[in-house]
Amino acid sequence: MPQYRQPPPPPPWALEGGGQVLDVETAVKDGILGATAGGGALAGAAGEKLELKKMIDELDPLDDIPAVFICPISLDPMTDPVTLCTGQTYERGNILKWLSMGHLTCPTTMQELWDDTVTPNRTLLQLIHAWFSQRYLRAKKRAEDVQGRAAEVVDTLRKAKGQARVQALKELHQLVTAHPSTRKTAAESGGIGLVSSLLGPFTSHAVGSEAIGILVNLDLCSDSKANLMQPAKVSLVVDMLNEGTIETRINCTKFIEMLMEEKDFGSENVSSFSLLVGLLKLVKDKRHPNGISAGLGLLRMICSHKQVRSLIVSVGAVSQLVELLPHLNPDSLEATLQILDDLSLIPEGQKALKDCQQTIPNAVRILVRVSETCTQHALSILWAVCSLAPEECAPLAVEMGLAARLLLIMQSGCDPTVKQRSAELLKICSVNYSESHFISKCKLTRTIQ
Amino acid sequence: MGSFCSRQKPYNEADAEENEQAEEIERRIARETKAEQHIHKLLLLGESGKSTIFKQIKLLFQTGFDEAELGSYTSVIHANVYQTIKILFDGAKELAQNESDSSKYVVSCENKDVGEKLSDIGSRLDYPYLTKEIADEIKTLWNDAAIQEAYSRGNILQVPDCAQYFMENLERLSETDYVPTKEDVLYARVRTTGVVEIQFSPVGESRKSGEVYRLYDVGGQRNERRKWIHLFEGVRAVIFCAAISEYDQMLFEDEMKNRMMETKELFDWVLKQACFEKTSFMLFLNKFDIFEKKVQKVPLNVCEWFRDYQPMASGKQEVEHAYEFVKKKFEGLYFQSTKPERVDRVFKIYRTTALDQKLVKKTFKLVDETLRRRNLIEAGLL
Repeated sequence: MPQYRQPPPPPPWALEGGGQVLDVETAVKDGILGATAGGGALAGAAGEKLELKKMIDELDPLDDIPAVFICPISLDPMTDPVTLCTGQTYERGNILKWLSMGHLTCPTTMQELWDDTVTPNRTLLQLIHAWFSQRYLRAKKRAEDVQGRAAEVVDTLRKAKGQARVQALKELHQLVTAHPSTRKTAAESGGIGLVSSLLGPFTSHAVGSEAIGILVNLDLCSDSKANLMQPAKVSLVVDMLNEGTIETRINCTKFIEMLMEEKDFGSENVSSFSLLVGLLKLVKDKRHPNGISAGLGLLRMICSHKQVRSLIVSVGAVSQLVELLPHLNPDSLEATLQILDDLSLIPEGQKALKDCQQTIPNAVRILVRVSETCTQHALSILWAVCSLAPEECAPLAVEMGLAARLLLIMQSGCDPTVKQRSAELLKICSVNYSESHFISKCKLTRTIQ
Repeated sequence: MGSFCSRQKPYNEADAEENEQAEEIERRIARETKAEQHIHKLLLLGESGKSTIFKQIKLLFQTGFDEAELGSYTSVIHANVYQTIKILFDGAKELAQNESDSSKYVVSCENKDVGEKLSDIGSRLDYPYLTKEIADEIKTLWNDAAIQEAYSRGNILQVPDCAQYFMENLERLSETDYVPTKEDVLYARVRTTGVVEIQFSPVGESRKSGEVYRLYDVGGQRNERRKWIHLFEGVRAVIFCAAISEYDQMLFEDEMKNRMMETKELFDWVLKQACFEKTSFMLFLNKFDIFEKKVQKVPLNVCEWFRDYQPMASGKQEVEHAYEFVKKKFEGLYFQSTKPERVDRVFKIYRTTALDQKLVKKTFKLVDETLRRRNLIEAGLL
């Protein structure tokens, strides 16, 4: 059996002590092996592998890697290719594992092995390294390019006025949206403070919409957020939420959510008719499902502040949200039910729920059908409505099949408080019925999934 | 039309000519109507400040006031001076009679006679030219302690906002060859009667001509409003001017009525008009500069509408806080007075100081942007 005691000498066309014969770009482009810059194949062997692993990890997986670089066992690019006596090449770790399991065949050709030694394939390794290096360097250059561009644009923004300002903002917006690496650059070159300072009572929509689009992509610290919470700035954002394109509306929604995450956020900033009316318009716009979920997310957050609840009810949110219920996906449904549940805790909310014709039918239909959280909220809402006006509401609910569902809930393995509430609601509903009549109402008339 | 009288034409020819003329007239009407459609009509409503906005637009986007127009304001400005000093002198007398600390409103002996004379002049229909001598007398009286005290109670005396400005410029106003400056004209007060209109185009930065607007300013009469308001159906936008500094002042026509309450009622009324169902509303919260100073001395809750106001800070922060409070009140009023179906119409609030030309220009640019975007949205292009 051939014994290799040391790695083979470097290929004849690599110069001693490193140096390039061909530059990487042309070599790889032409499919010819070129020595990597400044690396003696001997000394750099181990280091090369580590570097290679790093590059493979960091590179965009969308790049189509040449098939010959891929290990047939793992289908990953090889970092330490070794060749069997059959001439097939595999990743060292994978083929050794194969052999250690007792297989004495070549995995791809199925030939029996007459020699179980593995030969490092230096040629292939250098090719793989060169290929990945080129891609890596190119990507890095591109990243640095956009970062440089971002810094330039921020600089331009300091002095630009009028149309130039709008253009600079547009470009910065595009950069931070498409290239995450620019976000840090923008922040570090003072971009946040600069863009924030452009927001005020006399900011045009053109400037404001781009500015918000930028800020929403950046990581804002507490101080920046505090600066952005000024009433005049928030007013501007609310205006744009009402008037902008769908992207602008969603950005404004996310922006306000970002501000609300600060712990010393005062609810007066969101106690605004315009904001609430704007959000309701957003969530009712069936053409844009992204807008619906964004709007509901913010509305839910706002609703968690008790002081704003009666304002939310006064803009007619209750009936509008109740009517929305049958058309929502599970996530949006949960958010909406949470909002209605919170609103049911205040008297005006309770009344509004009772007054809305669709509350009971829509809520009953949700019970047990979607998720436990949805059931909990729907139950809470029904309880609020029925306890407010039992004679009026209970019969309606029972006709919709409430009783049967309540029994299902009580028999399921859910939270004890939920079971308790179901029991209470069942009691409220049974009041005007005779026992036998009520029992008939408890029968399942349709299969409930 | 001369053709009927000058010649005897055969019946058919005369008929044909008449038809042709009628057609030509119809074509002209059609062309003008079409051209009119591209003109965006704006209606200025509100209790006070409309005319100043009107003048500003004229200065900004038209050729401004020419020499003759400026000159025509001289007599108005002089009249304002006489009216102001009369109000202050008479007011001081009234306060001296009715207030408990009457002594501070008593005009000093030297100035009493001058005061009587000026009060007399102020009550005439025709005012004399403001000469240097009279101007000096007015200046002396203005500096009298009692008159200054009366000025500080300006909110109950119907002292016009231009008082201080004119008093400080008396030397200049009384020059023999005095021609009012643009700023003087902006401060001048004339009670508008009837309807005035100007057509203009806000020129963009690229010097491209923008949309064409026609701005109407209707006199501030309370009574027959409902009779003529429907004539403005189809206007692009209503610019409603509400002077937020007037929360502690009473009406000129009815001293028992608070001006802010009157504005509130008027705004409510306008919002509910059927003819404005689709109209955009631009609310100018005007006289912000006066509001800024006043709000730190006179609490907002003196006005019934704002009685639930609670100050929280001081200085600039307090001004902002107070402004946001007033803004929210108007917002609340808008949404309460608007039927759910109408909630779609554009409603925006702008902070304005009508006397500041730069601010008015900025504000109007924003109004223009909003209206243009609205056009695009309605055309489905946005």
